[in-house]
This record gives sequence, structure tokens and C-alpha cells, in this order.
Amino acid sequence: MGIESVFPRTLFWLGDVPIRDSVLHTWIVMVVLLGIGVWAHNRLRIWDPKMWQLVVEYIVDYVEKLVVDTSGRAFPELVPYLTTMISFIVLANLLGMFPAMKAPSRDLNTTLALSLVSLGSWQAYGIRKRGFRAYMHTFIEPMVFMLPLNILGLVSRVASMALRLFGNVIAGEMIGAVMFMLVPLIVPLPLNMLGMITGVLQALVFTVLTLVFVVEAISSEEDETGVAHEAPGTI
Amino acid sequence: MLPDQQLQFAIVTTIVVGAAIVLGCITPALMEGRAVVRAFDNMARQPSVADRIRGLLFVVLAILESTAIYVLLICLILLFANPFAGIFGL
Repeated sequence: MGIESVFPRTLFWLGDVPIRDSVLHTWIVMVVLLGIGVWAHNRLRIWDPKMWQLVVEYIVDYVEKLVVDTSGRAFPELVPYLTTMISFIVLANLLGMFPAMKAPSRDLNTTLALSLVSLGSWQAYGIRKRGFRAYMHTFIEPMVFMLPLNILGLVSRVASMALRLFGNVIAGEMIGAVMFMLVPLIVPLPLNMLGMITGVLQALVFTVLTLVFVVEAISSEEDETGVAHEAPGTI
Repeated sequence: MLPDQQLQFAIVTTIVVGAAIVLGCITPALMEGRAVVRAFDNMARQPSVADRIRGLLFVVLAILESTAIYVLLICLILLFANPFAGIFGL
């Protein structure tokens, strides 16, 4: 196999669009998540819940607590979106542990797509909360010549989130591939465990950054403290 | 291209990539160490907020780590997908 299997390659073509193996793996992740959602739809119980329900509730509670800790207020409309994002990225990063599959986030296109979804989401939340003109006005907030700097800030946020996730995942996969070439027996195990830890951690970081940017776009006019343009609480 | 120039390109790329990785991972590691020391001190000082500090510590460590990942990315690009390899015929 060698190290070239770490890089994504084109499997087949749908008309003019190349379908890579990382696209196939994201389809697998989507099917798994949708399957869990559809299966759990009418099986949730209030009294005497089963183990899987407790696991799912733990994840949702964790995201809710994260929203409250980061912004100081509870945004219940953000919790489904962030839970989906963190579940998708965790599954996508951990897919490399299964035998025939590799993590789809080792493709820069996948992580860039996730970053663009994140960018679109915080712009959309900001526009919906404040109106289109008021939100565009925040780009020239302190002075007019801050406009290129603010746009550059947007681009750098998207690029840094995409590259961080991509770099971590492909570094883990490459280390795994090189270790399998050298000593296939016991040595790849701790490195794969490290890869799993960084996969979950990077999913958390991606979600937390998305959360911070969405909260920053939503709330800086009408805080309870009455101070305008205050950056939201702690990160 | 002459094989002599190809060899020189390969040697220079390898040396630069090796030096870049070594130099680029010094500062993130040092700064992560400083963050961890400060976090541990404050966790010991106020055990009631230790859980919050630990949660934030991991997030901050991942963000600091990402600068080292950027260096690694450039080195991987130089090694495996070098845009100048075509000029040299490699």
C-alpha cells in the first residue's frame, strides 16, 4: 500500500464530477447518523431510559453546557446544529479506525466544506438576528478602513479552521501509515490511540470555534450588562 | 534538467523541511508548557473551578497545537506535492 493510500483518490465520475473515496466515506458517516436519528425517533422514553438514550442525552447536555459556559446565556436554537456538527466531525475522524475505511477529513475539500458551512451559519445567524444592513455595518464598525481587515479576518478564520482539522487528521493517518510500513505488530497501537484522542479533540475545537463566532455575530448589542460591542464572555 | 540540479533540488528540499519542522515545533511546545503550568497552578489553588479550567485547557492546547500543524502541512506539501518538482523534472 505505502503512504500514497493516505491521500484521497478519485473512484468514479458522475458526469463531470469526480467522486473521491473521501466523499464515499462522508456518505457512510451521513448514513450512520441518519440511521441513528431515524431509529431513535420513536424509541425515546422518559421513564426507564436505555443505555443508548443516556449516551445521546449526555452528548446533547454537553453541547448545551458548552453553549452556556461560552456565552453566558443559553441559546437553545444552536444546540441541534452544534450537536450535529460535533457528531459528524467525531465520526468522520474516528472512521479511520475501521478496517476498510479512512477518515474523510484527511481530504482538504471535506474540511474546507465544513468550514464554509460554519462561515455561512454564523453569517446567517448574524443577518437573521440583526438585519442585513445592520450586520453589514458591523464590518466597518470602528472605522471604514477596517473593512479589508475584517474581511481578511473572516478568510483567516475559515482557512485556519479547515487547515487545523485537515492537518491533524492527515498527520495522524500518515504516522499510522509509516508505522505500519515499519513495524506492523504492536507499535501502531499507541499512535492510533493518540490519533483517536486528537480526532475527538479537534472536533470539539471546531465546534467551540463555530460557537464562539456565532455568538459573537448574534449578541453584542443587547447584552444584559448594557455595554455595547462587548465581546462575549470566556473562551 | 541536469541530474546534478535535480539532486541539488532534492537535497535542499530535504534539509529545509527537516530544519523547518525542528524550528517550527519549538515555540508551540514551549507556549503550551507555559499554559499548562499556569492552568495546573490555578487548578490546585481553586479546586472548585478545576473542571472548567480543564475543559478550557484542552481547547486552548488544541488551538496552540495548530500552529505546529501549519508548519507540518507546509513540510508535507514540500515533500509530497511540491509545485516546483515539475520544473526540475522530478
